[in-house]
Amino acid sequence: MAALTGTMSWFCCGNSWGPCGTAGHGACGTCNSGSYQHAWPNASAACFNITRPDTCGVSMTRRGCGFRHYTTNRCNGKRIGTTIADCGPQTDLWCGERACCGSVCGTNRIVDLTPAAYSQIASLSSGLQPCSVDTV
Amino acid sequence: MNGGTEMTETIDRRRLLTSAVVGSAALAGATALGSLAPEAAFAAGDQAVEPGAPDPNFAEGRITGISAGMLFVTGSDLALWRIRITGGTSIWKLRPTTFDQVTVGDGLYARGLRLPDGTLAADSVWVNIVNVHAHIAAIGRNVLHLDHKGKRIVGHLVPGTSAARYNNTPAVADMSLLRVGKHVQVIGAWVPDTNEVEIATVYAAA
Repeated sequence: MAALTGTMSWFCCGNSWGPCGTAGHGACGTCNSGSYQHAWPNASAACFNITRPDTCGVSMTRRGCGFRHYTTNRCNGKRIGTTIADCGPQTDLWCGERACCGSVCGTNRIVDLTPAAYSQIASLSSGLQPCSVDTV
Repeated sequence: MNGGTEMTETIDRRRLLTSAVVGSAALAGATALGSLAPEAAFAAGDQAVEPGAPDPNFAEGRITGISAGMLFVTGSDLALWRIRITGGTSIWKLRPTTFDQVTVGDGLYARGLRLPDGTLAADSVWVNIVNVHAHIAAIGRNVLHLDHKGKRIVGHLVPGTSAARYNNTPAVADMSLLRVGKHVQVIGAWVPDTNEVEIATVYAAA
């Protein structure tokens, strides 16, 4: 599979503080902010019906809980391997949105990483970064 | 944003700082080298942790005590952390800031290196940081009322700090394109034990 390009953000899950306190362990029941995990918009048919990446022209393979993806921050080339633990991001709310660093841009939200994973390849304060997602 | 050569040099410096902490005497040395920008403050190198597994070099929780450059943190899973702050630790609390702005009761995420004594030598600490996806319920003077999973969050706009990004625009102070009913993503700093956040960046569709 060719790498899927787009943008990435982060989300909290599991036991947490503040507004995250009610997040729960995600659609897979295993999600924790401190683990190398991610949310995927096509984690199930029900998930896909919420996130609808196809409405943004993004073709995304269905992959279930525990599937392993590798996300690369295209701003710096750093890469992290994570497993699917939740459904998201809601791609269709952000169709056409871009994030760039210099001339490198990504369009459409395709993955959300846990704080542990995101902070391994970017600063949490950056919020949104161009990325690519692969299976190897 | 993070250029190649500059980033390499930054990471090399970070590794030096971490090595210095591990090595002993070296908090003074780390301080002498100065702090690093939060945007550059993340670990480098190959992945040592299996996908799906907890990262031992990452901590989250709330601060229960502060003493001599050490944060005592109780994780939300009740794990106890001792997080060592050095001169090379970058600290974010709404904006890049300094250790003296961190207080008991704050929440945090921290990334660093676990030392043999069990402490986490922090490369970077994000204090009270939240990343909220919500809808705008109302807009007031310097405040956004947000609906977040059925609960209300009060988002305070901080003049001189808060910025908006509309699609791919550069961050701007102009919030006039925000609209009630629209969805937004907010990076901000939670005000502990309240439903309020101070907004760093709000992402919105134009």
